[in-house]
Amino acid sequence: MNKKIILIFTSISILSAFICFLGLFWAVFDKHDTIQSNKRVDHVNSEEKKNSSNTVHIVALGDSLTRGIGDDKGKGYVGDLKDMLIKKSKKKIQVTNHAIGGQTSSELLKQLKQPEVRRQLRQADIILISTGANDLFQGGAALDHLNMSYFNSIEKRYLVNAKHVYSTLRSLNSHATVFHIGLYNPFIDLEQSKLTSKMVSKWNVDNANLTRDYKKMIYVPTFDLFQLNVNDYLYSDKFHPNTKGYQLIAERVVSLIVFHEEGK
Amino acid sequence: MINLIYNEQLKLLRKKRLYVIMVMIFILVSLFTYAQYKQTNELIEKMGHVNWRVQLQQKIVDTQNRLNSTNIPNDFKQTLKIQVSQQQYYLDHNIDPAAPGAPTFMRIFIENAISLLLPLLVLVIASDLVSSEYSNGTIKLLLTRPVKRWKILMSKYFALLLSISLILFCMALFSYLISGLIFGYNGWSLPMITGFKADGNTLNTTGAYTIPLWKYVVIEYGLAWFVGVVVGALTLLLSVLIRSTAAVMGIMLASLIAGAILVNMVSSWHSAKYLFMLNLQLTHYIHGTNPPITGMTLGFSLIVLLIWLVISIIFSFAIFTKQDVY
Amino acid sequence: MTLQPALTVRNLYKRMGRKDIIKGVSFDVFPGEVFGFLGPNGAGKTTTIRMIVGLIKPTSGDIFIAGHNIRTQFTKAMQQLGCIVENPELYDYLSGRENLEYFARMDRSIDKKRIEEVTKLVKLESRIHDRVKTYSLGMRQRLGIAQALLSGPKLLILDEPTNGLDPAGIHEMREFIRSLAKESQLSVLVSSHLLSEIQLLCDRVAIMTNGEVIKTDRVSSLLTTKEKVIWNVSPISKAREILQKETDVTEHLEGLITPYSEENVSLWNKKLVNKGVQVNEIKKMKPALEDLFLELTGGKKSD
Repeated sequence: MNKKIILIFTSISILSAFICFLGLFWAVFDKHDTIQSNKRVDHVNSEEKKNSSNTVHIVALGDSLTRGIGDDKGKGYVGDLKDMLIKKSKKKIQVTNHAIGGQTSSELLKQLKQPEVRRQLRQADIILISTGANDLFQGGAALDHLNMSYFNSIEKRYLVNAKHVYSTLRSLNSHATVFHIGLYNPFIDLEQSKLTSKMVSKWNVDNANLTRDYKKMIYVPTFDLFQLNVNDYLYSDKFHPNTKGYQLIAERVVSLIVFHEEGK
Repeated sequence: MINLIYNEQLKLLRKKRLYVIMVMIFILVSLFTYAQYKQTNELIEKMGHVNWRVQLQQKIVDTQNRLNSTNIPNDFKQTLKIQVSQQQYYLDHNIDPAAPGAPTFMRIFIENAISLLLPLLVLVIASDLVSSEYSNGTIKLLLTRPVKRWKILMSKYFALLLSISLILFCMALFSYLISGLIFGYNGWSLPMITGFKADGNTLNTTGAYTIPLWKYVVIEYGLAWFVGVVVGALTLLLSVLIRSTAAVMGIMLASLIAGAILVNMVSSWHSAKYLFMLNLQLTHYIHGTNPPITGMTLGFSLIVLLIWLVISIIFSFAIFTKQDVY
Repeated sequence: MTLQPALTVRNLYKRMGRKDIIKGVSFDVFPGEVFGFLGPNGAGKTTTIRMIVGLIKPTSGDIFIAGHNIRTQFTKAMQQLGCIVENPELYDYLSGRENLEYFARMDRSIDKKRIEEVTKLVKLESRIHDRVKTYSLGMRQRLGIAQALLSGPKLLILDEPTNGLDPAGIHEMREFIRSLAKESQLSVLVSSHLLSEIQLLCDRVAIMTNGEVIKTDRVSSLLTTKEKVIWNVSPISKAREILQKETDVTEHLEGLITPYSEENVSLWNKKLVNKGVQVNEIKKMKPALEDLFLELTGGKKSD
């Protein structure tokens, strides 16, 4: 009896030792063929499109605004928007937020090259983007040397990027509605407010003009939301919106979405 | 020699330590399976779907956002950056590193067990192997046989190797069987990427290649086995030196736990990379995680461990064959 | 020499740190004899025995078991040796039988039948399949001896074999050891700090103290030289006066003590009676080894 158990255990152990040793050998000496790209991508895509008819796919891209930085609840306008839509619509709402705090328009362009982001954008019904604020303000750092000529050069560069972004989005997905959240002026209470407001307005106008070239693309103004009592809606960093501020933005976007759905 | 090994196996089995260890593995695997199951469930709840690509992309974005916050220590930032580029690499090649399934669970289990749980279980066996003979006085009977002393120690080394192999076998078997109940038993041929090299804060993917998951798992268990052997040999050396099971356990436990803590804070203490307990996370190299100290590679860690192993074997034999038994 | 000694110890030294704890021990044990190893605790008995069985390496000196040097022919020497060092510590989570099988596996020369033989020899047949954990000390001691006899050794070494046994157990053990020596020409080396034990058990004895053997002799010859006479007399003072003229006298609870001498005892008795001393009893007393021991070591102060 004893003998049998011992023999069984021992042979299992020896077998296991051999396998482990093989593994160790592979770990040390084995080098393999270089990476082979996987071909499953397309096949998986078509599979997923079928079962997505009953849900609204929302993909959010952009900077800290879309990420929701400054919202104590951590939702941001994207989260608020989702909650509001769930109340209004019977469809399932699915949100993927790819926003990265501090992202500039050129970084967004880079992100748009990632296959997974592209894959999701293809399936999206609604696309939310916010970009440009970091190009313009550089997180507030640009405030000291703001002047019109500097502004012009930045804006020129930005508009090229924005155009690129829009055409990429449209080429990936022609049916989704794109909402670009416009800029507000967080510095409206500061001394140079006249200059900064002028800049932000011009930026918004030029950007909005650019969106007109594309179908189902809406530039959502936020400048007016924060024009009065800006401090009530700003987070303690005096740059990002606070919970209330985000709520305002979400309400505005939602009203547009509902309008759009009914219009459909 | 075979008789001697048989004797050691007999003692191990009759002392029931192996059974205790098997029960422990069983319980822990069940716990981890449940935890993993809960985690997956929560993800589904949070994300609304289980598409791994969406999850992974979300993870990348989350990590990138964390990177932007200013109060992260630098070395942690590096780790995060490498993590992001690795995840991106997986995504770009359409490979799910965490595809649910028993083989994936086996992989995750051993990756988590290699630096603490496995050494602890080995410790339970190895600490007792020599020192219990001293504390029970049976060493006197053992050493007055017509058998050379080195053969007796050798048989104990073999018994140790067998036990370590058995522990790993149980880990593999239990984690496969139990997790399979929930995650399914498929996924052996899933491609995995290895061969990443972490250089500072960038990930070098030029050497990357894919291997099927089963091979990946075998490699990781092989590395774990090596870690077990090194820890076991060190423990055996200590128990030859100290002869008290409790003291051996104490010392080894302290150094293992110290290792687990140190791993997270030694990035600037370079000579610490020669400590055995900082080289236990061999699977990290296969996985492509940032090593605790820059410059550490799989080869380096294997050599460091090998040196510790050889030294402890030489010393334990030298001492065991010479020492007086009172 | 017709007989090769079962054990030869020559000039054994053991140095610990700066101190020699065994200082040149030499003796022989011949086949069929029970050899006693006597000394107070700490005299170096156990250290010497551990050197003989190979647990401690001697600093210098040689040990031969049945002619094999344990340094150069360790396995051959050990095949001729069976031993219990201090307590018979066996694997108590194994049964008696399993323990014997275990040790049989360590020596190819032992076959299966031998296990049954030794079990019968130590009368453990009824409990051999029980775990050692459940054994009494006497049973453990017997199992220990069975284990030691397993390889059919020429030399059996028992360190304090009756330690902790009850009187009946002690008696049984003694008989057993004697019969072993007699029937199978086995040499037995027994150590003890109890002199009565050695006296009853051994043919020859080596007396050890402070790491040295101070005397090796036959137990019987050691004893006859030191026999005494107890005089139960009255009046004591008068008797002492008379005896003091003849020999050494010491006072004792029961009376007076003089050395024994075959031809003089009756003469002294006659003198006492003639002088009017009442002699109630004359008792010849074999000396305890205690006296012997004190006598041998008493003069020497340990340094």
